[in-house]
Amino acid sequence: MISRNLRPLLLLLAAPIAFFATFFVAPIAVVALASFATDAGQFTWSHYLRILADQYHWEVILATFRIGIVTTLACIVIGYPLAWYMVRIIRLKTWRRICVILLIVPLFTSNIVRSFGWMVLLGRNGLVNDMLVSTGIVERPMRFLGTETGIIIGLTYILLPFIVLAVGNVLAQLDTSLEHASCDLGASAPSTFWHITLPLSLPGLIAGAIMVFALAVSAYVTPALLSGGKVTVLSILIFQQYSSVFDFHYGGALSMVLLILTLILVAMAGRIRGKHLDGVA
Amino acid sequence: MPSSLLSIEAVSKKFGAFQALHQIDLEVQQGEFIALLGPSGCGKTTLLRTLAGFLHPDAGRILIEGRDIGKLPPHQRPLNTVFQNYALFPHMTVMENVCYGPRRQGMSKSEALKQAQAALAMMGLEGFADRLPRQLSGGQQQRVALARAVVNRPKLLLLDEPLSALDLKLRKRMQLELKQLQNQLGIAFVFVTHDQEEALTMADRIVVMNAGRIEQVGPGDHIYDRPATHFVADFIGEANLLGCHVDESGQLHFAIGGRHPLKDQATVQGDYTAIIRPEHLRLEPASTGRDAPGLRLDVTILDVVNMGSHQMLYVKAGGQALAIRRMGPQQDWLSPGLPAVATLATDDLHLVRGLP
Repeated sequence: MISRNLRPLLLLLAAPIAFFATFFVAPIAVVALASFATDAGQFTWSHYLRILADQYHWEVILATFRIGIVTTLACIVIGYPLAWYMVRIIRLKTWRRICVILLIVPLFTSNIVRSFGWMVLLGRNGLVNDMLVSTGIVERPMRFLGTETGIIIGLTYILLPFIVLAVGNVLAQLDTSLEHASCDLGASAPSTFWHITLPLSLPGLIAGAIMVFALAVSAYVTPALLSGGKVTVLSILIFQQYSSVFDFHYGGALSMVLLILTLILVAMAGRIRGKHLDGVA
Repeated sequence: MPSSLLSIEAVSKKFGAFQALHQIDLEVQQGEFIALLGPSGCGKTTLLRTLAGFLHPDAGRILIEGRDIGKLPPHQRPLNTVFQNYALFPHMTVMENVCYGPRRQGMSKSEALKQAQAALAMMGLEGFADRLPRQLSGGQQQRVALARAVVNRPKLLLLDEPLSALDLKLRKRMQLELKQLQNQLGIAFVFVTHDQEEALTMADRIVVMNAGRIEQVGPGDHIYDRPATHFVADFIGEANLLGCHVDESGQLHFAIGGRHPLKDQATVQGDYTAIIRPEHLRLEPASTGRDAPGLRLDVTILDVVNMGSHQMLYVKAGGQALAIRRMGPQQDWLSPGLPAVATLATDDLHLVRGLP
């Protein structure tokens, strides 16, 4: 029985729940069902068996997650110090605001435009190679386009703001008297960072990393443009199945594999957070 | 003469154009309980943070047992701080919090645990070792912060208004406990507070600060009875400030009328402020004879406020209001509008230079 008081609440919730069911649950259900069906509508494991048996698919899956993990690590390595700079080093309010705007504005531009930009920059005669050659770091222009490195550079650029904003947010809320207390108790600055600042900023770091990772493994536009057809990731494979091969069942199975593997990795990251920071807001 | 534990020599600190500390000199002896007392913005917290190493003085030296620590970073200074908000590490248990100092200073895990257990036992926190700080009450958090500091056996413990977040009753209890703890440990305490009662209750010596300068240093009763400046008289306890003038013959003339021969011949001619505590004034019926020695002022009663244990009487003398504290029962002649006589023993008259 639903009590009288609960009824208006449920009515209020009905719209968002319906929206969630229609646009989040139903599509996944449709894809999941299709992945287990033959053209005739019979139940089958065959699409999944095909993925498991095929070495090519394993290579694509590995490449996808390799790109995802390296991109996430690169975002952490660049993003954490950047967030630190914006929150802790900058004293001038105006300059901090400008930095935040500079960080966010690219998000308003289409991924396609920005990925094309990187195609220009990373080309044989692009700005990056010009600089590398003229400074003598490399002798001949390096090949970025059509390599995983190129895709990782592009994705890192596009996804960096997510981690900077997430980490910056926790750093700004961190009580600096905790760091003072740590120094006061005899910890050097690096030791204080390791024992106090890093663990307390971990929730933001992990939230940002999960977002970056999920967006990196599912990205289509950037890998498609920067791969030049030479590197294939899961999203490209899925797109081909849906748009060129019209095999919705096989495309569905690939989508489910991507979804499940991503969820497993995200759950693992969540466990790290739970273990080290039980209940720390 | 034993060398002092802490010597502060001519320390100055500026924030932009604001002079937060101005030529501060102070000596603290081994095992002494010092209270830095003053209104907010007087520089007491700045001084404490300078001692802890979070701020660096623009000029002057800070010595501990003769060693200049002014240039050392906080983690190399032989002192510890109890922070105003306790600053307990929220992601660590009580035990981990208390072990933090010994561990960072290179103590083995088992030894650190032993020390931390002893410190927690001393604070009566044996059963709380595995709790997280947010699972403790304010008073318990306060004790953990103390345990975390004293476990390092510092030569000097700095306390930054550590009781201000506690409710009144708990604060009173913690004041006594802190004093006991300090006696037991023999560590010198430098305690920042804006609460004069707290300072008077706990400190061996009180350092009264105002606008970046030290106004007076001394034991509580001395500061109360013999304030060196108007500011100290006004800040510590209640005081009636009366403008007066000493003439060449050593006579004291009050601005509100009345004069009085001075006992102390050393007092030179000039303008002074007489500082008179409300409890030193006696109010008597107007019919009282003039035989009593000491100061005598004719007054009119303005108001009588019963405070339970005593009465506060507000009277007017020559255009100036005076406060008088009176013990004893309410009486008929104590009613507003009636004339009376206020008297003061000569010993209770204290003069400072300059008009109020």
